Order: sequence, then C-alpha cells, then structure tokens
Amino acid sequence: MQYALLLYEDESVYGPGKSGPEMRGIVARHIAFREELGATRLGGAGLAATASATTVRTTKGKQTVHDGPFAEIKEQLGGFYLIEAPDLDATIAIAKRVPVLRDGAVEIRPLLQIRE
Amino acid sequence: MIGAALDRVFREAGGRIVAALASRFRDLTLAEDAFAEACRRALETWPATGMPNDAAAWLYSVAVRAGLDAVRRLHTAQRFAAGAEEAVAADIASDFDARLIPDERLRLIFVCCHPAIGAETRAALTLRLVCGLSALEIARAFLVSEKTLQQRLVRAKRKIAEAGVPFEVPGPSVWPGRLDAVLSTLEIAYAKAYEDAAGQGPYAAYAAEVLELSRLLVQLLPDEAEVWALAALARFTEARRPARLAVDGRMVPLAEQDPACWDRGLIEEAAVYLRRAAALDSRRPRVLQARLHAAWCARTRMADPPPWPQILALYDALLTVRDDAVVRLNRAVALAEVAGTETALAEVERLDACALADFAGYHAVRADLLRRLGRSDEACRAYDAAIALISTSAEQRWLVERRDALRS
Repeated sequence: MQYALLLYEDESVYGPGKSGPEMRGIVARHIAFREELGATRLGGAGLAATASATTVRTTKGKQTVHDGPFAEIKEQLGGFYLIEAPDLDATIAIAKRVPVLRDGAVEIRPLLQIRE
Repeated sequence: MIGAALDRVFREAGGRIVAALASRFRDLTLAEDAFAEACRRALETWPATGMPNDAAAWLYSVAVRAGLDAVRRLHTAQRFAAGAEEAVAADIASDFDARLIPDERLRLIFVCCHPAIGAETRAALTLRLVCGLSALEIARAFLVSEKTLQQRLVRAKRKIAEAGVPFEVPGPSVWPGRLDAVLSTLEIAYAKAYEDAAGQGPYAAYAAEVLELSRLLVQLLPDEAEVWALAALARFTEARRPARLAVDGRMVPLAEQDPACWDRGLIEEAAVYLRRAAALDSRRPRVLQARLHAAWCARTRMADPPPWPQILALYDALLTVRDDAVVRLNRAVALAEVAGTETALAEVERLDACALADFAGYHAVRADLLRRLGRSDEACRAYDAAIALISTSAEQRWLVERRDALRS
C-alpha cells in the first residue's frame, strides 16, 4: 500500500519563516532519514512556513480564497513523505522514526487507491 | 427447535467461523455478511433436512461459498478467488469437520484491538465479531443507541480495511503495546458488565462472555502472565457479584460484603489462573491487581478481619510498577486502616486535585476520610461532588445515604 506521512510540528521552534539555526539541524536529519528509507520512499517535501499559505475553500459550490493555512492550530503541517509499505503496522514503525525536533505528530494517511 | 440449536451454534462457533472467514477474505464486513448468509440458509434448509452432524463446519463451508460469490460480484482482485476456491473444494471433501476450520481468533482479536481503532470501539468490535454479541446487546452495555453503535462498528471496519491494518498477530517488537491494547479492551468490556451490579439487565449474560473471552485468550497466549492475571481478576470480581448490593439496591463496599455470599467455585477457578500468572511473573501490574483481589477473597466469613496490611503492601508493590492517581487513591483507603485517617488524607491531598476533578472515586475517598475526621462540612461538599459524577445508581444511593447521615 501507499501512505502519506504528514508531519505536524510547531513551526515557531524553527525560527521566523523556518530559517533559524534549528532548521539546518533537522534538515540534515531528514536527509539522513531519506537515505535510510531508500526505495520505501516514493516522494515527499518540506513545506515553507504557514505564513506563506493560501487556502482555496469551497463552500456550497462557491470558492473563496483565504490567506493562511486550512486550520489555525498549535502544530502545523510542515512536510510530508510518500512511502510504500505492506500495511499499517509497517507504516507506524516508519512513522516512529521520522525526525521530530520537540513535540509533534505524524499523521498516517493511506493514499486513495483508484481501481479501474 | 432448530432456532434454539442454531442459536447455540452461532454463539459457540460464530467467532471462530467469522475469524476464519476474515482471515481468508481479509475483509471483516465480507466475513460478517458471508456468515449471516450461511445462517440464513441454515434457517431455510435445516428444518427440512435436519441439523447436519457438524453444524459449525456446515455453516463455515456455506459461508466460504457465499464469501466467494460476494468477491466475484465485487470484481475484486483475482488473487482472492483463485486461492480460496481450492480451499472450498477441500472443505466440502472433508465432510464438514469443524476441526478443519482454522482457528484465527487470536488474529481477529488483535485486528479488533488495534490501537488505530478508538478504545471503546475496540471492545464493541471484539464483542461483536469474536463473541458474536448483537449490536443491540452491545449498545445497551455501552449506553449508546443501537444506531450509534452500528455506525461506530461500520466506521471501524472501514478504517481497518482502508488503513491497511494487517490481519496478523504482531511481531515481538511491538508486542508490549499491542497486547496491552487487547487486555485493556477486555477490561473495558468487563467494566461495562460490572456496572450492572444486579446482573439482571438485558445484558445479564454479558459478563459471562467476557470471562469466556479471557479464558480463550489464556488458551491462545499461554505464556503471558498478564493474560492469566486478567482471567483471574475478572473471576475474582465476578465471584463477589452476589454480595455487591444490599436489599434496597444500595452498594455494599468490599470490606462490608458478606464473604459467605461470594461464589466459591469462581474464586477457586480464579486462584488457579492467578497461580499460573504469578509463576510466570508475579510483579506485573495486572498480576499484582489479581493478588489484591485474591487477598480479599481469602476471607470466608465476616469474622475474618479485613486483610488491610496485606492490601497496603500489595498497593506499595503496585506503585513501583504502575504509579498513577487511581492506585494512590486505592492505596490511601488501605493506609487509613493501617496508619490512620490523618496520614491517608494527607496522601490524598498531595494528589493533583485539578486532574482528578472529574473522577468520582477521588471525591468519594476524600469524603469518607473527611467524615471520619469529623470535618462534616467539607465531607458533605466532597460527597456532593462524588454524587454528581457517579454513573451507577447503587453507588449513588450509598453515597447519598452517607452524606444524609452527616447532615441529620
């Protein structure tokens, strides 16, 4: 199966605009983790700070564009991995190895399987 | 006649059949539907043909065919149909021998109790699929509407399928957490049965189902101390059911229960489970909890003094492996009897009052200690807090009686 690992952390710990000194450290750890995952990793990316986010919301067919992320919460979506794993247990094991600086959460979402 | 016989087969073999089907088709909903279809066909044909010699095997065999039909209809991957078709041929040739139904119940239990499923839903799902309780029975026990429970079950089954929860007993590396999820699921299930102290509600047989499930788990996981301990715990607790209520429906606290009313047969059974648990590992939290119950159940008549010093020693031991507020609170009750009320109250006042504000037991223990120290006003306020939070009428009556005695 294919899964997305969505990384939620408090982006303020990485400094303004995610350019503080702690950012370099975590990026190095992600690069190492990416090596470790090898072929298990299908894709992924880090995201710029939520200050740069724009949301297109559709309500009752009407679309509006908003400044900011989809939800204002304590922790923000900061990046994601796309991986291939046999099942949820294997994915949980991988999610537990994702580098996190302090508190944070990794949400596991199976990718939609489009059947013909 | 057929209806009653069929009912018994459903109860006794349903869990095993559903587990085997789920393992074969890797789809809980399909497994359940296929079993329901087999039961429907049994109701149609058995009155005319009589019960087959091995009814469980008949049901399984018919359910596998129903499952395969469903798979074909769904046009899902060929890989299911190919392998399963050969297996069906083997089932039919075996002339309905139930021993050939693979026992996949442990796998099914681990799937139902996966941490990716909400804790209360795990218990409901296990009782539905492994014990064969109806959604209505479970809904009553969990005090939710049948519709709500059905929705939770459907959502859980969908989550299991879509999130890719493996149909496997997990490997040793994740064993501690996963086994704990299974055991706490059983604890939640038993707690629901325990709340109905009179055992006369529409789910009177419910506690028996949980005892049976704990016995099954012991068979499936015979090397795990806490599995044996949980089977012992549930039996010790269940043995005291006849003494838990006074004639007016008020709760009788453990120390005031007449041991002559306890179910000795069940206590002896529990002791056997506990001996095995203690031999495997006597310091595990659930083993220590079972030993606490054993200490109480060693009392055979009111004249035997309550075993407070032993209870306190066991709570001290439990604190070293499970230090939480509930253990500290229970320990304080024993401490009051051994070291005095003041000492016990000082312990309770050291707990985090904010974190325990919504816990009825905290207020009830405080109220009792304050009452004993003659601090009536504070005791009344604590009783009020406990009464507002308590969910069972037996405990509520007991607390109201205590409080009103203080006011008069």
